[in-house]
Amino acid sequence: MRRAALVTIFVAGITLGPGVRPSNVAAQSAAVPLALDGEASARPWHRYHEWPQRDSAKFNTLAMLASPPAPTQPRKVAGSVAGNSALGAKLAADRSRGGSCLACHVMGPAGDADLPGNLGPDLSQIGNAGLGDETLFNFVYDARVYNADTLMPPWGTHGIFDDQEIGHLVAFLKTLKAPAPFKSDLDDPAKRPPPVENRDNLDSMLNPAMWAVDDKAPALWTEAGPKGAACASCHRDPARAFKTWAAGMPRWEPRLEKVMGIEEFVTRHARATTGHAWPIESAENGALAVYLRFLANGSTIAVDQESAPAKAAYARGEALAHRKVGQLNFACLDCHDAGRGAGKWIRGQWLAQLRGALDHYPTWRTSLQATWDVRKRFQWCQVAVWADELPPDAKEYGDLELYVTAQSNGLKLNVPGIRH
Amino acid sequence: MAEKPRIKVPKEAKKGEVVEIKTLLAHPMESGLRKDDAGALVPRKIINRFTCEFNGALAFACELEPAIAANPYFQFTVRLEESGTFRFTWIDDDGTAIMADETITVA
Amino acid sequence: MVAPTAKEKKMGALSRRAALALGLGTAAALAADPARATPGEADEAIGKFTGGKAAEPGPITIDLPEIAENGTAVPLTVTVESPMTASDRITDVLVVADGNPNPRVATFRFTPMSGRAEVATRIRLNATENVIVVARTGDGRFFTARKEVKVTIGGCGG
Repeated sequence: MRRAALVTIFVAGITLGPGVRPSNVAAQSAAVPLALDGEASARPWHRYHEWPQRDSAKFNTLAMLASPPAPTQPRKVAGSVAGNSALGAKLAADRSRGGSCLACHVMGPAGDADLPGNLGPDLSQIGNAGLGDETLFNFVYDARVYNADTLMPPWGTHGIFDDQEIGHLVAFLKTLKAPAPFKSDLDDPAKRPPPVENRDNLDSMLNPAMWAVDDKAPALWTEAGPKGAACASCHRDPARAFKTWAAGMPRWEPRLEKVMGIEEFVTRHARATTGHAWPIESAENGALAVYLRFLANGSTIAVDQESAPAKAAYARGEALAHRKVGQLNFACLDCHDAGRGAGKWIRGQWLAQLRGALDHYPTWRTSLQATWDVRKRFQWCQVAVWADELPPDAKEYGDLELYVTAQSNGLKLNVPGIRH
Repeated sequence: MAEKPRIKVPKEAKKGEVVEIKTLLAHPMESGLRKDDAGALVPRKIINRFTCEFNGALAFACELEPAIAANPYFQFTVRLEESGTFRFTWIDDDGTAIMADETITVA
Repeated sequence: MVAPTAKEKKMGALSRRAALALGLGTAAALAADPARATPGEADEAIGKFTGGKAAEPGPITIDLPEIAENGTAVPLTVTVESPMTASDRITDVLVVADGNPNPRVATFRFTPMSGRAEVATRIRLNATENVIVVARTGDGRFFTARKEVKVTIGGCGG
């Protein structure tokens, strides 16, 4: 059985070569052994224990719709809204409450005007705008009644702030009548210089993710699994064989009826050929995912956009990138579309557009002292907007990864990256 | 657990020339301020001293506090008059010493 | 007064308003920032190094980012201009971060074998704060310089 598989791989190597053209999807995938049974990550999926353990089952995820519907009418407010403006100022700066306001708005003296964001308009003089209490209340409660395309989380409808708290925020907003007292240009998002990434990401003295390339992956490559084979048994010269392979991933895998990324490929291919158990998010899988992309560094990203299954996956991924998820109600493109959030700041963090986002994944995260692959990045984005994440090998993430990677078609792979 | 220290020293140098050395040790530098999932403080465990000796004499030393980042990295310079061997030593709070040697030819 | 909604919010033993009043946030916020050092603690660390002697402004360059992307591994290069001869050299350099729980960061010893009085490393910073460098010369004088680093605030919170 194994010899037949080896012969198949050998034949595939001659006919297709390392620079596989995307249109050979069916031929290419049929040639490579994959363990098709089971999942590529833990089931049931449990969130990483060091992440916030908030349960967001009542709100949309990328796999299911659950959020309450948007109201069609503003709520009526009789007279003026009661509230304590000092408490409102504290709420506006409270990072544990989904941002909160300062993540997206400059708001006068709130939070000492310390690095507010500008995804939304500057509210420092909203107290002079002549908006009544009812309008201010409803903008916070659920701005969708005024603007269906708003980026504002529905703080009231989604139960993040209760009516008393929104009252405090309204009281605070009414006090805002002067420009924010920035201590320096660094605090002003209109003047803050965007970060420039010029670190040498391939320097092992700077980027611990490179240790996978230096030591960990080469050691795994020659380690025999339960079936008696190692990666090296068939792939004796990985640097030559995989010179461009990673640049064509992720790809549609017909046997699994989903888009398969490199991490899932490693799990299923290793299991089929060597017997190694290397699920997604294991240290071994991570090291090999970095290594296989590193070997293709400098090659041009060319995700399939020609075949019918790839086109369908791209369309699904694009739709998912537009879906509002989580209690905070954000879609990927709200932050990462050049026409919406990209190029703006959420608090002190600059938002990048999709193009150029995945040419450097997996990446070392300096804030966490860990290497993250793209699926973990997706999972965190969900949790960060108070949505439940999916298992890393979810088919929705595959569609999304194909769509997002395709935005970087034409750029060159440069892995592993190093980022905040 | 022990990862080999990563060291960059040129193989050769001229007498009196300023030579740049880079050293890196994989080490979590547990500050003693971090809490685990149960809310308990993870005890301090850091590299508290790093030395670079050349042919037995001290060339450079550092006393480290928990504010040195994980995977402690130092880049520093020496001027040498003779060939010989560097010995780099990292001392952990628990008393263990991690050592690595590098040779250099000076002419 | 705003008309109350029909929705009932289960808050558990501590109402959200009460929790806010006590200054409590999510578990993540609770586990976060240890206390900053007092300004006196940073001065105390410097005083121990100088033996109480005054430190004058001196030829010290502190290379730090204006804004650090986070406080986990901020690159720092300290350079003290000196001919580094037997009679005119730098012997020790102290680095202090006045907003860290323990303000001492490191002490560096330079020797007759040192090329330049210069070291690069990566440090942890608790929050926006000053990094203060004090250098001792071979004849027992002290120089000092400082630089403020803004540690950026992340977008999404906990």
